[in-house]
Amino acid sequence: MGLFQHKHKHSSDDDFAAEEHFLDENFREELRNHARLYFDKVIKENGNLFKQDLDDTITQLNIGLKEHTAKQLDDAVVQISADLKAHVSEALDTQFTTFSEAAKAAQDATLASLQTSATGLEEQHKQLSATLQKSIANQSVMLESLFQENMAKIAAVKEANDAALASLNRSIEELQTQNDELTSSLEKKIATQEEAMIKAFEGNMAQVVEHYLLEALSDQYDLKTQLPSIIQQMEANKQAIVDDMKL
Amino acid sequence: MNESGVKTHTEFVLPFRVVSRADVSRLVSEVEWVDNELTAAAVRVKTGAEQSVGPAMSDQLNDFLNQNELKLDDSRVRSELIKQLRLLKEHAPIIHMTFAVPADRESLQQLAEYVRTSVHPQAIIAVGLQPALVAGVYLRTPNHVHDLSLRTVLAGRRDSLVKELDALRVK
Repeated sequence: MGLFQHKHKHSSDDDFAAEEHFLDENFREELRNHARLYFDKVIKENGNLFKQDLDDTITQLNIGLKEHTAKQLDDAVVQISADLKAHVSEALDTQFTTFSEAAKAAQDATLASLQTSATGLEEQHKQLSATLQKSIANQSVMLESLFQENMAKIAAVKEANDAALASLNRSIEELQTQNDELTSSLEKKIATQEEAMIKAFEGNMAQVVEHYLLEALSDQYDLKTQLPSIIQQMEANKQAIVDDMKL
Repeated sequence: MNESGVKTHTEFVLPFRVVSRADVSRLVSEVEWVDNELTAAAVRVKTGAEQSVGPAMSDQLNDFLNQNELKLDDSRVRSELIKQLRLLKEHAPIIHMTFAVPADRESLQQLAEYVRTSVHPQAIIAVGLQPALVAGVYLRTPNHVHDLSLRTVLAGRRDSLVKELDALRVK
């Protein structure tokens, strides 16, 4: 605006109409557009510069803020660590003291109890030992008596076995004698039986031969063939037949 | 011989065809039948009928009549013959003969011939069958038996067979 005002001051009145004619609305508009463009360009360049400065500033602020914050945090952490360490150490010391006292008391009580138990166990061990010794002595006596009894029984059994063995030996001898007698008797009987069987076999063999002959001859002859033999035999017995028929 | 001229049963000559008591019974029946036929024919002749031919007789009866010289024309002879034949049937001596095989007629007739010529003229034979006899005859007369079979012969010689077997064993 100042530019146009500056130009307007350097023109005369005569030239005002030419100027008015020259600076018509289009030209003005062209100028305004040109001004706008130039203004935009300037604004844009300044904006860029401003933006760059602002970015640098923000970057710088960030760095500073970070450094400050880190420093503050480090300090706080150190402080807190120191405080916490002191507090924890104190608490732990207190707890350790308490626990140590309690543990000691418990240890003392346990030791006392263990001592009592050991004493009791020792007493029981002594009692058990005495009882065991007594029991062993009793068992020994009983075993001794049992051993004596068993020895007596074994001796009796041995005597009985000896007697039985002697009896068995006698029986064996008797059986051997009987066996010999039976053997000889059986041999004799077998020989006799053998002889009898042979005789029976011979008798049976005779019957077998006879039966065979009977079977073989039975169908061989009819009455006509036999007739001469029959008449011959009847002739041989004729007198007896005649005598019987006369009676 | 009696009044009618008929032999007594003890005098009969039996033909060889007549072997057993059944044959004698058959003779009796046949003579009775002939007697009836001849009597009826005589009656018919008396009534005026023609005389018919006499009844046909068996070979056994013909042989018997011929061997004993008998004729049946007379009724008294026939009656007496019947009577004597019945007596013969009752009293004829019997010989029981048991064979190992069935006896044929011809052999029995030969045996009857031998028995009647050698033992008794009126003897009749009663036949039996016993296959166990093997061969020969088992003969029984009224009071005795005569075992003439091969079975008995073999049994009687069994001892000799045993002796021979024993001799074989010793060897």
